[in-house]
Amino acid sequence: MNVLNMKRGKACRKPFDMGMPAKATDLVRLAIKAGDPYCAAAVHNIATGRDKRRLEALMFDKRRNTLLLARWEHTPASVLEAIANSSAGNGDSGVVIRLDKNPNATAKALSQLYVGQADVRQLNSDFTVLIAQHLHSPVSVLASIVQLSEDEQSLKAVSRNPAASAEVLSVMLERMANSKIIGVLYKNLAENPSTSTELLDFIYAKGDEYVRAAVIGHARCSQAVIDESVSDKDVKIMRKLAVNARVSSETLVNLAASHDVAVRCGVASNVASPEVLVMRLLLDDSCLVRRAIAARLDLTAASINALANDKDSWVRQWLARNPRIPRKVLERLSVDFEVDVRRAVARNTCCPVGLLKALAKDQSAWVRSAVAYQHKSPKVVMEALATDNNIDVLSGVANNPHTPQMILQDLAASPELDIRRGVILNKYATRKTLLPLLEDPYYLHRLMLVGSVRLKGKDKWSLRDDPDFQVRFMVFRWMASRLCESAVR
Amino acid sequence: MKILIAVKQVAALDEDFEIRADEKDVDEDFLLYDLNEWDDFSLEEAMKIKESSDSEVEVVVVSIGPDRVDESLRKCLAKGADRAIRVWDDSIEGSDAIAIGKILAAVAKKEAPDLVFAGVQSSDHSYASTGISTAAYLNWPHAAVVADFKYQPGASQAVVRRELEGGMLQEVEINCPAVLTIQLGINKPRYASLRGIKQAAAKPIEELSLADVGLSTGDVGAGNSMSRVRRMYIPEKGRAEMIEGSLAEQAAKIIQIINEFKGA
Repeated sequence: MNVLNMKRGKACRKPFDMGMPAKATDLVRLAIKAGDPYCAAAVHNIATGRDKRRLEALMFDKRRNTLLLARWEHTPASVLEAIANSSAGNGDSGVVIRLDKNPNATAKALSQLYVGQADVRQLNSDFTVLIAQHLHSPVSVLASIVQLSEDEQSLKAVSRNPAASAEVLSVMLERMANSKIIGVLYKNLAENPSTSTELLDFIYAKGDEYVRAAVIGHARCSQAVIDESVSDKDVKIMRKLAVNARVSSETLVNLAASHDVAVRCGVASNVASPEVLVMRLLLDDSCLVRRAIAARLDLTAASINALANDKDSWVRQWLARNPRIPRKVLERLSVDFEVDVRRAVARNTCCPVGLLKALAKDQSAWVRSAVAYQHKSPKVVMEALATDNNIDVLSGVANNPHTPQMILQDLAASPELDIRRGVILNKYATRKTLLPLLEDPYYLHRLMLVGSVRLKGKDKWSLRDDPDFQVRFMVFRWMASRLCESAVR
Repeated sequence: MKILIAVKQVAALDEDFEIRADEKDVDEDFLLYDLNEWDDFSLEEAMKIKESSDSEVEVVVVSIGPDRVDESLRKCLAKGADRAIRVWDDSIEGSDAIAIGKILAAVAKKEAPDLVFAGVQSSDHSYASTGISTAAYLNWPHAAVVADFKYQPGASQAVVRRELEGGMLQEVEINCPAVLTIQLGINKPRYASLRGIKQAAAKPIEELSLADVGLSTGDVGAGNSMSRVRRMYIPEKGRAEMIEGSLAEQAAKIIQIINEFKGA
């Protein structure tokens, strides 16, 4: 082997010589100097003129990089627009399909793609379908598809898209009135939140039982349609009526007598159900119905007592999580033989501290971990749980706002990822506690620290040459946002 | 003692990709490269031996590939490997797993390790034969799909548990030196520390030519392999039907389909 064949440090990213940039232009030039397409993407929206062109050259000089950025879910909108606008975006179907699928693609980018890709669209209707279903597609583009497209899949995609306006949906229904896909369009429109009340009334009159059920479940369904459907005996429609708070008490009483469990469950969870009806459903044979009642926030003392003795553990579990439950009932449930019921007591936002202290000594680590995560658990409980050896319990301790910093500092050095992540997620962890985690081997932890309000700017900036491209991207994006804010001030 | 670990930089596919003009592989622009998942476990197993040993254990990683492979080798160095070797010559392009085994065996002869580890298979080509062919060229014993490993550095034998069908394990005593192909889940691979990554960036990677390992262009490449890729393609899509209608209707249709399959 030749000595010359010993290759050293090619993959090494040399730390930048510059300190923290004071101006946006400094940061942009630093990103250019770094030669990293992800850093370039992070600062693209604050760059101007020649610097912007240099960033774009850096990002788009290789097709591979353009493809990566067009697909990446974190690519900033301005970069996606630049790709859409560039020759690479306009001439390359591989790039176009990624832009069309990218949830971050802006209305402007999608509009550019739709207008600029007329030739490609004629060859491949998949592109139009992707634009037709994109949540950021502008109404004007969707209107154009509705008026001009002959492709059934594209029209169906618009009918499902909540970004389509009521007018666009109305025009489509009118145009396709005699088409063979009208039945599918009715169904899609019945579930599209943008569909107007008038259109829903029309669809209800024309559609089958599935369409009628979907219309009744729609937030914009008219009271007239709801009143009309009350006499409908189709179970799908009854299920939708049972959960609808606009239905009268009389109707709910009738629905509560249904043989269908899902209908009775709907009534049991409906806030409009009268107390007497809830009391009656407490005796329902189906535990699913009783579980729905146990989750209600308007339970009476009599209902609570009945549910606390229910033989179904899920009923007791739902009750144990209910914040309206009195202390005495919680105490009873805290010694339930089912672990999940005791855990539910520990997770109850209104669980008294005394009960939490008792549950902290529970034999099940699953219960103790719920106590550890409970924000009402006091410092003394956290100190006791910090000696536990279960990962779930220690992760909870790491997350808890009442855990002393000394304990958090110990947990920050844990070999377990989940425990260290708990410290990072703890809003009360101090800078001193968090600083060692900047060296955490797991990239996601370093990435999360870029968003920490406890760390200083210089701490975060130390990650600017991180080995992971996502961390570098986040650092540059954070700095870009910070410089923009200070420029506005 | 010395452990040689054969690692591979594998390619992962995007959901939308294009096949190369010669139809023999995917267009490189659509590939994302990373260290083969199985090789992470091989390296960790070697690191466990190194860290628990009283005597000196050298862990050497070797890969066959072009410049870009250095990134994966550095990942191994960052996790604690002592040395990294990369063998490349343009004539190696198109070599099958058996020819790659020949090159790895040549490296093993030069390095004289006590053990050679390889992953059970690579996630991109899945031949599952590189490690075994290496053993064949070395004329060493081998054990495939190793799910547990007990070995005292310097010992003449090791005990391995091999994963078989139906959840069975087969305990095997094997003479050393030997080649083992390591299965996923044998251990919990570590993340490289930031310090390790920075130090790895400064460590040298030994670049070897075919001549350095005693081979020539006549030993490698598609023309000297026992199998060659004729074509890579996406098969025609099977019968599929989008279920349309409201959510309730879609659910009803799915229940109907399940019942039909069940014969209900």
